Amino acid sequence: MTLLSVRGVSLSVPGRRLLRDLELNVPHAGWVGVAGPSGSGKTRLLRAIAGLCDADAGEFRLRGTDRQEMAYPEWRRRVSYVGQRAVFLKGTVRFNLERPFSYASVGARFDVAAAARELEQLRLPRTVLEQDARSLSVGEQQRVALLRTVSIAPDVVLLDEPTSALDEESVSAVETWLRARAEAGLSGVIVSHDATQLTRLTTTQLNLTDFSPGVLGA
Amino acid sequence: MPERGALPIGVAQLGMAALLVLCAGAVSVGMRLRLERTLAIASARTVLQLSLVGYVLAWVFRVESPWILAGVLLIMTAVAGHAAVARSTRRFAGAGVGAFLTLVLTGLVTTFTVTGVILGVRPWYHAQYVVPLLGMVLGNSLTGVSLSLDTLLADLDEQRDRVEMELALGATRWEAARGPLREAVRRGMIPILNSMTVVGIVSLPGMMTGQILEGADPLTAVRYQIVVMFMIAAATALGCMGLTLFVYSRLFNERHQLRTERIERAKGG
Repeated sequence: MTLLSVRGVSLSVPGRRLLRDLELNVPHAGWVGVAGPSGSGKTRLLRAIAGLCDADAGEFRLRGTDRQEMAYPEWRRRVSYVGQRAVFLKGTVRFNLERPFSYASVGARFDVAAAARELEQLRLPRTVLEQDARSLSVGEQQRVALLRTVSIAPDVVLLDEPTSALDEESVSAVETWLRARAEAGLSGVIVSHDATQLTRLTTTQLNLTDFSPGVLGA
Repeated sequence: MPERGALPIGVAQLGMAALLVLCAGAVSVGMRLRLERTLAIASARTVLQLSLVGYVLAWVFRVESPWILAGVLLIMTAVAGHAAVARSTRRFAGAGVGAFLTLVLTGLVTTFTVTGVILGVRPWYHAQYVVPLLGMVLGNSLTGVSLSLDTLLADLDEQRDRVEMELALGATRWEAARGPLREAVRRGMIPILNSMTVVGIVSLPGMMTGQILEGADPLTAVRYQIVVMFMIAAATALGCMGLTLFVYSRLFNERHQLRTERIERAKGG
């Protein structure tokens, strides 16, 4: 069964068409990889799916419900985008992890013990909870940001180069962690430069060059 | 009984006051500050602008037409609105109109509350009260409002990532914008809070000084000044809040997206 379906998506930046008539389906607990050269619109696509920016055209459905019929914050809580560069509010890691639980769309309580366990699985000591989030290294921040999004229990995560700042061991820790989440029912779309990572983590892959306006009609 | 009314100032007195400026000019020449030209122009402007305003005010007070008064108030507010936006290092389409509407609303409401309700001036739009009071309200809330505007636009422009991160996690536009909005209002209120804190100790406000020079009882002058300070504080608070809400409504859309592309950096900003 299709969980997230994206159909007929066209994207452009001022003066240039990026994508035309893209289709992407994410099955329940399924993972889709997105590849493509720099500037082909990978980040734009994820942001458009999250509704953080507008597509020129396209239909976005989650479990058959059109995005238009849902409040955008609710959609983004279920279809959550994780940017390549982690961003934090001023404060500790704990404060930052707890922050989304203050939003009306996230109807749950922050479980600090669970967060500490997850951090350890991501090769981060639980003591980082009390550290200033902005003082962490880029790689540490990337993992905290990933946990922050997954902890609000989205249906689909949209990951933009989720391991770009990590060393090899951390990459494999993150991948193991993501596979465990997938087994628990989480779905995702992953953008990565690393083709082998996409084959490791995803069952279907699409290349954005197939949807660039230049090859249309070929 | 102290003598009432200001001591008359004639041309001879003005000439003597000009000697004070000449002293300043002499310092400039003596120390080669090269400010004497600017000083001369500034002095001439002071004389010209204030004389013009004097004649205009005298005429407005004499004709007592509500329409002419309304025109004067609108021009004052439009100039203030323009200045509030012009001082900001960033702007967006509609910022000037927003600042103008905000100042119209907050400036006029507070001014007329003072004339109509607190002082009980009859009629409540009596030009002799309304024009100088609105002038003080606009002159002061202008600073706060432009600070708020500048803070908020800079915040949203430079910290776009932070706002979008919160939106991506399911925050509503209000939840994501609350922090920057609050900070903008806070920054806009700081100048008036500072002057309320030191008023009378570090500085004697111009209006109070004027009344005392005119021979008014200092206690009466003080009461007037208290009313004026409260009026300015209220106008500034409402103005900062109104304008930040206006910016919020323009830079976030109903799809809870942040439209930073609407922000333009001013030339040289």
